[in-house]
Amino acid sequence: MQESSTATTTNGPAKWGMAVDLDRCTGCEACVTACHAENNIPTVGANQAAAGRAMHWIRIERYFEGEFPDVHVKFRPVLCQHCDNAPCEPVCPTYASSHTDEGLNAQVYNRCIGTRYCANACNYNVRFFNWFNPIWEKPLHLQLNPDVSLREVSVMEKCTFCVQRIKEAKIDAKRDARPLADGDVKPACVQSCTANALVFGDLNDPESAVSRLSRSPRGTKLLGDLGTQPKITYLQREG
Amino acid sequence: MRKWFILLLTTVAALGLGWGFFGENGFLRGQSNTGAARAQTSPIFTTAHSSVGEAVRHFFGIRSEAQQPIAYTHKAHLDRSITCDTCHTGVNTGPQARIPDIRDCMECHEFVAMDKPVIQQITAMWERGEDIPWQRVYGFTDEAHVRFNHAPHIRADVECSMCHGDVAQMTVAERVVDHTMGFCVNCHTQRGASNDCLTCHN
Ligand code: HEC
Ligand code: HEC
Ligand code: HEC
Ligand code: HEC
Ligand code: HEC
Repeated sequence: MQESSTATTTNGPAKWGMAVDLDRCTGCEACVTACHAENNIPTVGANQAAAGRAMHWIRIERYFEGEFPDVHVKFRPVLCQHCDNAPCEPVCPTYASSHTDEGLNAQVYNRCIGTRYCANACNYNVRFFNWFNPIWEKPLHLQLNPDVSLREVSVMEKCTFCVQRIKEAKIDAKRDARPLADGDVKPACVQSCTANALVFGDLNDPESAVSRLSRSPRGTKLLGDLGTQPKITYLQREG
Repeated sequence: MRKWFILLLTTVAALGLGWGFFGENGFLRGQSNTGAARAQTSPIFTTAHSSVGEAVRHFFGIRSEAQQPIAYTHKAHLDRSITCDTCHTGVNTGPQARIPDIRDCMECHEFVAMDKPVIQQITAMWERGEDIPWQRVYGFTDEAHVRFNHAPHIRADVECSMCHGDVAQMTVAERVVDHTMGFCVNCHTQRGASNDCLTCHN
């Protein structure tokens, strides 16, 4: 929507991005749980998970440093980097994987025919294929989020930066005739992060919290030298 | 030899189709509602089709008429200038318009038209603690992946009749407007609303 995508202080569409402060991440995985609940992500069972078919739009990677007993664990939350130059997009034969005006790396399930080219092209392993129709044992289906559709077998799915929350925030802002403020949109992972390690917002607004953090000298991009231009900035650990 | 092989294949295909169409829960016996039949009987909830027939019907977009359990009438209410949002309470505020449950009916019909047989039928259900099992008229299949939202349309002064026809003249609601993607996108283009795929699909 031309007028309503106007966000915060800038004109024109927003550019959604995230900053991850690795000094703050405790590896508690609240974000992973919140993401599953928000986005109706099915679980596949132990056997299929062992076969590499588990789906987690966000995961915590663990790195161990040092020798026992002097071991340090470092955590890194990894989700779709919403690359500006995304390797998953040009390989899709049906344009199911495409870029929106607001810089989201979208997956249009309707168009997806399940070639899995995108998952192969992705450098970050954050695209997941539905090998089966998802199943929820009743009454667990009553907790499904009505704002997010269910993905059937042979469809690729991935992190959307909780686009349903972005849409809701924009509709609410328009209803109240006010501009979208920094912090109005919080994806489920950001909302649930007790340590405030994850910060989300509009990168086109130079004053937003995420823009300020992204300019930090500690900022790095995951596999940045590949030229994918991720929109997530990781603030390296100092401690 | 080859002739017999082809004949065999044809028979197998015909049997398969026949089962799909006439078999238990098949094409010609299916329920009209998206997922309503399977939702009630099985201990699990899944996006899988419950039968070949259901898959075929979804594929061709065939849906049978909804059969409402009560001879409800929109006209009688709307003639008395009761507004849509008296019953469809969510329509101005959220994604879903909401279909009223029996308690909403009883707010008025505890006092109004109690002599009418239909109302006595409803009152009896209410006293037994039952709800009215309305069948859905509109709505999308799971595979359409559409997330519709009423409130922004109502705020932008889009009339109910644009998308639902003249309900004021109907008894039970009928599906008179086809909610195809072209229908949505045409108006969005005219009105300058967003046509980004994620506006409607996510
Ligand atoms: C705001 C008050 C109100 C609510 C809520 C309401 N009704 Fe009515 N209803 C009326 C009025 C007024 C009439 C007209 C009575 C008459 O014809 O004398 C009516 C008439 C009817 C009739 C026609 C009766 C006949 O045979 O002429 C039916 C059927 C009916 N209502 C069913 C329902 C059902 C089902 C609900 C719940 C979904 C409902 N009503 C909710 C006020 C209401
Ligand atoms: C822009 C088109 C549009 C307009 C305008 C519109 N509707 Fe709808 N309506 C729909 C669609 C599409 C659905 C199916 C939504 C679904 O199932 O996800 C629907 C569903 C419904 C339902 C079924 C229950 C539900 O909540 O989904 C009711 C009741 C309803 N509409 C009432 C109304 C009323 C009353 C108005 C006017 C105040 C209205 N609608 C205006 C498109 C529209
Ligand atoms: C007195 C309560 C009442 C009022 C007022 C009312 N409705 Fe309904 N509406 C119902 C009930 C009950 C149903 C379910 C039965 C049916 O499908 O007809 C329903 C169903 C519908 C449906 C079909 C929903 C679906 O997908 O199954 C639409 C569309 C609808 N109404 C639109 C409207 C519009 C538009 C108005 C105002 C012009 C309106 N209604 C006013 C009670 C009401
Ligand atoms: C008669 C015109 C019309 C039709 C038909 C129509 N829309 Fe809309 N829609 C609008 C307008 C106007 C807006 C913009 C409201 C605004 O800017 O606040 C809108 C907004 C929306 C929004 C919210 C956009 C946002 O800001 O996130 C969604 C979702 C939507 N429409 C979905 C649909 C779907 C799905 C259909 C088809 C079933 C449909 N619309 C049919 C006129 C229409
Ligand atoms: C204004 C709302 C709207 C927008 C924007 C929109 N769609 Fe749709 N789309 C729909 C609706 C509604 C349907 C369901 C039609 C049906 O069920 O018959 C649909 C159906 C589809 C289907 C067919 C699905 C099926 O299984 O039958 C495809 C493919 C599709 N959309 C792709 C897209 C793509 C790609 C974009 C972005 C370029 C897009 N849509 C944008 C509303 C929209």
